[in-house]
Parts: sequence; C-alpha cells; structure tokens
Amino acid sequence: MEEVAVKPFTQDLLRRWLSPAVIIVLVLLAGFVPWLVNRENVWNLLYLICLYITLGQSWNILAGFAGQTSLGHAAFFGIGALVVRTLWLGGVPFFLAFPLAGVAAVAFSLIIGVPTFRLRGAYFAIATLGVAEVLRIIVSQNLPMISTISAVQIANYNLPTRYYAMLGLTLATMVSAYLLLRSSLGLGILAVREDEEAARATGVSVLGHKLLALVMSSFFAGLAGSMFAFQQISYYPSAPFNPNWSFESVLVAYVGGLGSLIGPVIGAIFYIFVHEVLAIRLVNFHQVIFGLLFIVIVLLFPGGLMEAWNRIAILLKQIWKKVVSHRKPGGQPL
Amino acid sequence: MNFENVIQSLMFGLFTGAIYGIAAVGLSLVFGVLKVLNVAHGELLMLGGYISYFAFAAWGLDPFLSLLIVIPAMILAGIVLDRVLFRHIVRQEGEEKIKNSLLVSFGLALIMQNLAITQFTADDRSIQVAYMGMGINLLGISLPYSRLGSLILALVVILALHFFLHHSLAGKAVLATAEDVEAAELAGINIHRVFMLTFAVGASLAAIAGTQVVLTYGISPSVGLYWTLKALIIVILAGTNSILGAFPAGLLLGVVEGLSGAFLGQTYSEVIGLVMFLLVLMLRPQGLFVRQ
Amino acid sequence: MNTMLSVRSLRAAYGDIQALWDVSFDVNEGEIVSLIGSNGAGKSTLLRNIAGLHRPQAGTIQFEGLPVHRLPAYQIVERGVILVPEGRRLFCNLTVLENLELGAYSRRARKEREKTIRRVYELFPQLADRQGQRADTLSGGQQQMLAIGRAIMGQPRLLMLDEPSLGLAPLVVENIFEIIEHMNKQGVTVFLIEQNARQALKLAHRAYILDQGTIVGTGSGEELLKNDEVRQAYLGFAKTEDSLL
Repeated sequence: MEEVAVKPFTQDLLRRWLSPAVIIVLVLLAGFVPWLVNRENVWNLLYLICLYITLGQSWNILAGFAGQTSLGHAAFFGIGALVVRTLWLGGVPFFLAFPLAGVAAVAFSLIIGVPTFRLRGAYFAIATLGVAEVLRIIVSQNLPMISTISAVQIANYNLPTRYYAMLGLTLATMVSAYLLLRSSLGLGILAVREDEEAARATGVSVLGHKLLALVMSSFFAGLAGSMFAFQQISYYPSAPFNPNWSFESVLVAYVGGLGSLIGPVIGAIFYIFVHEVLAIRLVNFHQVIFGLLFIVIVLLFPGGLMEAWNRIAILLKQIWKKVVSHRKPGGQPL
Repeated sequence: MNFENVIQSLMFGLFTGAIYGIAAVGLSLVFGVLKVLNVAHGELLMLGGYISYFAFAAWGLDPFLSLLIVIPAMILAGIVLDRVLFRHIVRQEGEEKIKNSLLVSFGLALIMQNLAITQFTADDRSIQVAYMGMGINLLGISLPYSRLGSLILALVVILALHFFLHHSLAGKAVLATAEDVEAAELAGINIHRVFMLTFAVGASLAAIAGTQVVLTYGISPSVGLYWTLKALIIVILAGTNSILGAFPAGLLLGVVEGLSGAFLGQTYSEVIGLVMFLLVLMLRPQGLFVRQ
Repeated sequence: MNTMLSVRSLRAAYGDIQALWDVSFDVNEGEIVSLIGSNGAGKSTLLRNIAGLHRPQAGTIQFEGLPVHRLPAYQIVERGVILVPEGRRLFCNLTVLENLELGAYSRRARKEREKTIRRVYELFPQLADRQGQRADTLSGGQQQMLAIGRAIMGQPRLLMLDEPSLGLAPLVVENIFEIIEHMNKQGVTVFLIEQNARQALKLAHRAYILDQGTIVGTGSGEELLKNDEVRQAYLGFAKTEDSLL
C-alpha cells in the first residue's frame, strides 16, 4: 500500500491553490508593506527589485522562452530611457511619453532583429553585444552632458507614485509572460527554442515567433528604461546603455531559472538582497558572488535556482518516502 | 587635412593595431584550438596591465621588462583557469559548447572585474616612464619610443608564435588539434595538455597586450569589455580558421580607426570597428581572411 | 597464439543511440581479423571505443593483458594500438611530411621516426614525391595512403582500420589491401572493419559479424566467404528460394 505524506484531497488543494495564493500574497505585500512602513530606503529597495524583475523577465522572454541568448538588452533599456527623458524634460507628460518609449524600443529591435536572427547561438549573442555598444558609444559621444530634472520636478518628486508605477509595470510584464506561455503563440516560441528545424517542419514560422518574443522583450525593457528615466534625478544619458544592465538581466534570469516564469522574480529578489547585504562592506562583491553562482549554474544547474530547488524538493521527497516507509504498520523498523 | 597628418594617423593606427593584434591572436588561439569563446579575455589583459603597473609602482620596473614577470604569472593563471573552469566546457559539443563558454567566461569576467575593483579600486592607473613623450621625428612624423617599442614587441611575439606553430613539432601538434581534435588524439597527442598550454599562451598574449595598454592608455578594472570586444571584432574579421591572421586584421583595424578618426571624427572612429564587425557577421560569417 | 586484444561484454553508445549491446571477441597476435556488418551496426563505434575516443558504458577492453577501456586515447596510442579512422581525417593544413611526423608523436614512436618515414616512403612512393605538399592537395587514394602511413608512423602493434576502401577506386583498394597484408607479414596485427565484405573476408584469417550491436557469427575468412547466409546478407548474392535471414 502506498503511503502518502498528506491526504489526497489536501494535496490537490495545495497544488492548485498554493501558487496563486503565494503570488497574491506577494503582490499584496509589495503593494502595502512600503506604504505602511513608508521609509525611503524601503521604497527604493522594492523599486529596485521590481525593476530587476522586469528586466530579467523581459530578457527571459527572448532567451528563456525563445532560446535566443542576447547580450544587448541594455540597448532597449537605454532607448526607452532616452525617449522618455528627452520627451519628459521637453515638456511632454510622462504618461504620454511612456508608451512611446516602448514603441521606440520595439521599432529598434525589429530593425536589428531581422538581420541578427540569421546568426547562430554565440554569434547572435556577440552581435547583440556589439549593437548595444554601438548605441552606447553614439549616445555617449553626442550627449555627453549629464541630464538633470528641473527644480520644479525635484520639488514635485513623489517616490511612492513612481514605485507604484514600477510595480504596475512589473505586474504587467509578469502577466504578459504568463499569458504568452499559455497561448498557442507561446507554444510556437517554445518549439523554436527546442528545435528550430523541427519547428519549421511542423509549419511554425521560426522568424515570426522569434520576432514576437523579441518585440515583447524589447517592449518591456524599453518601458523599464522609461521608468528609470522617470525615477532618476540625474544621470548620464549613456548610462542606461551600459552593458552592465545587459549582464544583470542575464544574471537575474539565469540564477533564478531560465525559461521559468517565477525565475526572474527569485533571481531579482536574491540579487538585490545579496547586493544590500554585501554593499555595506564590500561594494562590488555581490557581483563576484553572482558571477560564481552564475558559473555554477551554467555548468551544473542550467535551470538555475528553480531547478536546484526542484531537485532538492525531489530529493527531500525521496528521503521522506524512505523514512515513512520504514514506519509502515507491521513493517520492520530500521 | 594634409599628407603629413594622414601619415601620422596611419602610423598611430599601426601602433594601436599592433596592440590590438596581440590581444586578438590570444583570443584567436584559444578559440581556434579549444573552440571556446573566452569573453574574459579583456580581463586577462587587464590583469597583465595591473601586474605591470604594480611592478612599476613598486620597483620602477619598465613595462617591457615587467614582461619577465607578467608572462610566467599569466601562464600559471591560464593553466589554473583551464584546469578549474574551461576543462569542463571543452568536453561539450559544437553550438552548446561555444554558447556555454560565452556564458561561463562572462561569469568569470564579472568576477575578475569586480575583484579588481575591490582590490585595486576603480581608479585609472597609468605608467609614466622616463622616456614618455620622447621619440624619433622622421620627416615630420612623430614616432614615440613607447609606441615603437610596442610595435617591435608585437612583431617579435608574432614571429615567435609563427615559428612555434609552423616549425616545431609541439606547435604543429597545436595546429593539428585545432584542425581535428580526434585525429590529433589518434596520432597520440595529449590533447588535454595541448588545451591547457594553448589557453596559457592565449592568456599570456592578452597580458602582454595589457602591459602595452597600461603604458599607452592607462587601465582601470572596467576596460576588460572594451578589449574583449576589440579582440572579438578582429577575430571575426580575420575569420575563425586563421589563427595568426588575427594579427594583420588587428593592424588593419587600428589603421582604419586611425584614418577614420582623422577624416570623420571621434565618434566614427570608435564605432567603425564595431560596424565593420557587425557587417561582416551578417554578410560573411566566416571572416575576411579565410580561404573559401 | 597470444591473445592481443580482448573485448568482453562491451556496451557503448554513440550520442543518444545505443550502438553496442554486448560485444565480446578476441584478436590474436599476428592475425588479420575483420569485422563485417551492415551500416549502422556499430562497427565504427566499436573501433572508436577501443581507440579511446569514447568510454564504453560497460564491459572491458584488454590489450596485451592490460585494461585500456578507461585510458585516454593518447595513452592507448602509446601502447601501440593505432586507428586509421573512417574518412581519413588528415591534417589538411599541414604537409604530407608533417602529417607523418605527427603520426610519430608518441614517445615510443618518436625514437624511430626517421627510420619509419623512410619505410613509409618505400611503401608509398607517391607520398615521397609529394612530401612538401598540403595534405588536401592529394587524391583520394593518396590521402588514404597518407592516413595509413601516418598510422604506421606510430609503430603499431595492433593496427585498426575503419573502412579503408571507402570512396576509392578498385585498383587503389587492391593496392591498399596488399599493403595491409604486407604489414601483417611484417608482424603487425590487424583489426579491420569494412563495408566491402568480400575484400575483408579474403584478407582476413578470421572474421566476426556484427549485426545491430552484437556479434552474430564468427569463423575463418574462407568459411564465411562460402557461407550462404553471409553471402546473401553481405556479399550481394541473390536469395535462394527457401532461405530467408
């Protein structure tokens, strides 16, 4: 007779409602905790987490779902920031500039997407890196002066508004990724990741699906960039084009678990947490830790913390089963 | 824009290209033999530069002389990195291998860069040798000693490498391994040792370039990516089948950058290399110097 | 006769495909042993495992009494087991002479290098004429000669050949098989797999039949040449009325 750890009905209940419940709890926490606590560093911390979730998830759509490892994510982030900053400081209300940032990022991604998608694996990655660098250099050469918001804007600066806007964007990104995964388009994208030839043979438009993933990826990255431009008081226009943004997107998504929905969330929270803990003592050491973690994950746990967690969960279940089976009524104790 | 300025730009392009070339050959060697893309190549260059810098700061050691320390140190570092890290990737196959090497070396680059920030601070470092700014003046063209030294060093290194690869049995074993790993194994070549030594040499070449970089431009922990990209651009331009071809390709890039800087301005000279690289990637992925 | 190569219960995969299920056979010193079988039977995989390019999943390979199935390829070469791989696998960017030199890379073979080169040039005068040429400028037959020459440079005690006749004209094939016989008379044990079953069986003292990853038959070369089933399956003879495999 099979022993069970928990009764079947409860088990099923848990499985079906656990994930959504956890998500709802997290979202509520994200919404209410900073408001209740109302300290600036808490707003900033959660803001950063949301930003990195968005960056990681948007990259995940292209690299995790579609299997196209790009190292030029900063390009979209930067374009979004550039468009919004220029328009907003030029007098256009933020909420109008905001969607334009996304559109601009998408337009750019389509221009470079079509030629670069012809390249395989590593060459695609290098090409994206190259493109992002070209953008950064052009921006840094042509806009070398620091960009600062006006005194009026500083006076009217409202951090909670910005936070909730960012939170909203993050939720939108997560929901979109979720819906994509469950749609037939999403299935096509996953098929392209698994085996391009096979996908093409079954009638899936490989380029079309890659472009779809790219469009979604660049759209949300561009919007994240516009958030950055909205939140930062002063920065150099080429800063959001810095390749570090690309690398951090990769780290967050990979360490969390590439290709999974929750991965970027885990990765972002973990990343910011480690950053906060270590920043007090050693300024850049969190990146060393993450670099090490990243290497370990690429070599051993391609599924990231998600996979590591799953494996540990499976291992724990096996151990539990072994322990319980020795306690069966009438069974011999160890 | 007179003739003298053009020649001046050309010469400086050549000097820069020499450093480019050494860095690129290091990457090309590793990619050609191990079939692994080491994105941390620029960080190895940076490391070489820092060793040179500290040798100068502590003992007044001329960067050219510091090579005596840099080269053995980097050979050791290369061996360690190969044993600890790249050995695991080398076992993989084809596409996955190249992509994984990209990712793993990217993690390595991150580690090295940030360790450098923690240890060395993020400040720019440069070396002011006694003969800085002095040089030969040939027909109105200024040829600084330090730059000439870099060029001569680069030529010597490349010549040495050429002789090693094409005229020694060990070198031919390296070329054979680059061409067909299994056939090399079947000939009795210990490919693991070949990989290890090749990586060590590649790291040394990066470091040699690094000593010239700190002398010519100065370095900081964040220069790694810049040089990795330069080396990558050149390797792709040269074509992945031609290991030493990366050197003339590096010279070419240096000259093109120098001339376009003279005629078209700063922005263009910086992006022209990248743009050329992207064009070559899209249109002729096998590079410019490769036989069809 | 001494057993030189002893394979027991070998299980091996080629990528995702299980190529060998349970292979056991021997090669004795001084013999020419052939392995025949249809494509995809796992013949190449077997040779590659013996040569050390792959590690078997289970089973043992012993050469002159020593287990070699866990050794890296270069150490197996050092012991005198040399494989001429399928498709020649020459170093195209290097010259004929350089290919030969690299064939004598192992410590044992390096000592005799000069002597062996002369020997190879005697066997293959066409190679001597072209010693400075790039390997990819040679004709198919010459390339196969170079591949065999390179293997000879390694001072083989056991010479293994993977489809030496592949893609070659009949006259060239004749020449190559003559040379293999000559090597054998000089004391080199030979283990050979071949699609061209007739040649392989004519040449061999003994042969094995590999089908779908296991040994399904064995006998002397002559016996198998005369065997009806073998003739139908591998030598291209028409089926007789009531004989189906």
